[in-house]
Amino acid sequence: MIEISVASGKGGVGKSLLAAHLALLLSRRWRLIAVDADAEAPNMHIVLGVKEWDKVLEHHEGRRAFILQDKCTRCGICMEACQFGAIRIMGGKYIVDKWLCEGCYTCSLVCPVKAIRFERDVLAGWIRVEEKTRWGFPLVSAEIIPGRPNSGKLVTEARNTGRTIDTNADLMILDSAAGIGCQVIASLAGSHAAILVAEPTRASISDLKRIIKLVQHFRIPSMLVVNKYDLNIELYEEILGIARENKIYVLGRIPYDENVPRSYVAMKPLVEYSPGSPAARALVEIADRLDEVLSGFDEWRLEYLPEAYKPFTPIVIRPGESLGQPNMLTRW
Amino acid sequence: MMISIAVTGGKGGTGKSLVATSLAIYLSRHMEGVVLADTDLEGPNDHVILGVNQLQDEKPIILFLPFIDTSKCTKCGVCVKICDTGALFMAGKAYPIVFPRLCSGCKACYYACPYGAIREAGHVLGYTYVTPVCPDNHCFKLVTGMLIEGEEHTPPGVYRTLRRALSLNPNILIVDTGAGTGNAVSMGFRDADLVLVVTEPTPLGAHDLESILRVTDDMDKRVWLVINKYGIGDQKVLDDVIANHRVEKIYRVPYDKSVAEAYALSRHLLLYRPESPASRALLGIAEDVRRWISA
Repeated sequence: MIEISVASGKGGVGKSLLAAHLALLLSRRWRLIAVDADAEAPNMHIVLGVKEWDKVLEHHEGRRAFILQDKCTRCGICMEACQFGAIRIMGGKYIVDKWLCEGCYTCSLVCPVKAIRFERDVLAGWIRVEEKTRWGFPLVSAEIIPGRPNSGKLVTEARNTGRTIDTNADLMILDSAAGIGCQVIASLAGSHAAILVAEPTRASISDLKRIIKLVQHFRIPSMLVVNKYDLNIELYEEILGIARENKIYVLGRIPYDENVPRSYVAMKPLVEYSPGSPAARALVEIADRLDEVLSGFDEWRLEYLPEAYKPFTPIVIRPGESLGQPNMLTRW
Repeated sequence: MMISIAVTGGKGGTGKSLVATSLAIYLSRHMEGVVLADTDLEGPNDHVILGVNQLQDEKPIILFLPFIDTSKCTKCGVCVKICDTGALFMAGKAYPIVFPRLCSGCKACYYACPYGAIREAGHVLGYTYVTPVCPDNHCFKLVTGMLIEGEEHTPPGVYRTLRRALSLNPNILIVDTGAGTGNAVSMGFRDADLVLVVTEPTPLGAHDLESILRVTDDMDKRVWLVINKYGIGDQKVLDDVIANHRVEKIYRVPYDKSVAEAYALSRHLLLYRPESPASRALLGIAEDVRRWISA
């Protein structure tokens, strides 16, 4: 099975629009699975008009600390030790903020009177499964409990569910989250290729450069789609230049089209809501080109593998060392 | 007394950064000590929108990283067991191995080791910057947090960025959060006196708005809702969500082509087209915020 992630760095540039349409257009020719890998803001099902799920699986994991007030001596050691700022004073009492606690045990280890306990197997979110969408392919969607940590683990869980739901599938399309953090890494790290989405704005270009570094770290061959390309031709060409420099295959472009938000409101995929609209036609063309790429995927992959392998090397400071090297402080 | 205002929204690309920067520009015209903290460490864009070319005063965000002192380590495996992120690994009879990228810097292993064999080392997650910004002769300070590409533990980075902003002793702290609804975002508005939630009138905006309002309700926050790009979709899709949550005020920023033009020219909308409908709406919100601060 070929696994492809749609990512962008910046949010709101059209990842879900593209991922959902690639799934529904390619499902005519490919046996595929769609996975919404944006657990914090899952939107793929909305673009596809899925309103009810066949299965909603609870995902429990992790812990949450709480303080036994009758044992607590208000010494404040836990508050100093917590690396996430999750312990705070409210009404004279030390309490663990349930939104910030990552459940790491540090506070309970430093507490001199053992006043900290843990709630275990906390509900982290849900894996939602639609076994057969209108187009025949299954959709798996992760959703985290808002405000809570570890959305990346939920994304991994959703992808694993996707892999087992149809072991004979040839293709998986993942709709990644905005950003470059744990959710995006969870989605990119196991992928055979990435489709990067950008729009011609400075903010999107800035984030595109960051996601390109990420795909190079993981050595994932990438494709590019420029959404709303006609809003600024100059910046559109700058984006094409970035793609050339980084050996990224240009899959296509989508013009600005007011039918897109209208199709969202109608809860219908754009290609059904307004098949003749410029954006819908562009999406069909992009899907056709992706179909070509997938048909000769091995050759394509070899051609577009990032040339120089740039593995990610974390910056580590050993005990007693300091960040003395001046070049390290002028990365930006 | 410091007043803190957070700007969030759930869905990406709804206009959080535009609202946050507009607020900073407007408030700095009328008040001293305005600090804008860009806590979207995965894709910070406030400086891009403000046309800042060079971020200044860089400081690394250093997280704790375990360093195994092999002269003391007995290979008991306690540290590996307590690590939640898989950053410590032990193969057979070897000493534990540390994977810095996976480490969240929680320090549990350090406190758990019965032999004091874990020493404090560091791991650079990203950088924070403090840049003075003076768009129209009135200045404010922009604090930017930036994650190194390949790092994945955003929440501790958000925490450090907020701490750096607080260390500047602001009178007014404006916090711009990233997209999403996880704890990297909720951390940004956890201590806010006022939360501006920016959304767009589409079912996608409505879905993510619902998620974020569940958190603000639970935290008992004062929420003002900003419906951006008003006119592109259908506001009715937001009605149910708004009715089910505590929202004190609702503002509408009309969809306006000059927003995209200003972006393309790397100019801030308020300076490029102060009279445009979107600018006027944004200034109206900022004025209300100022009135609320003074009250």
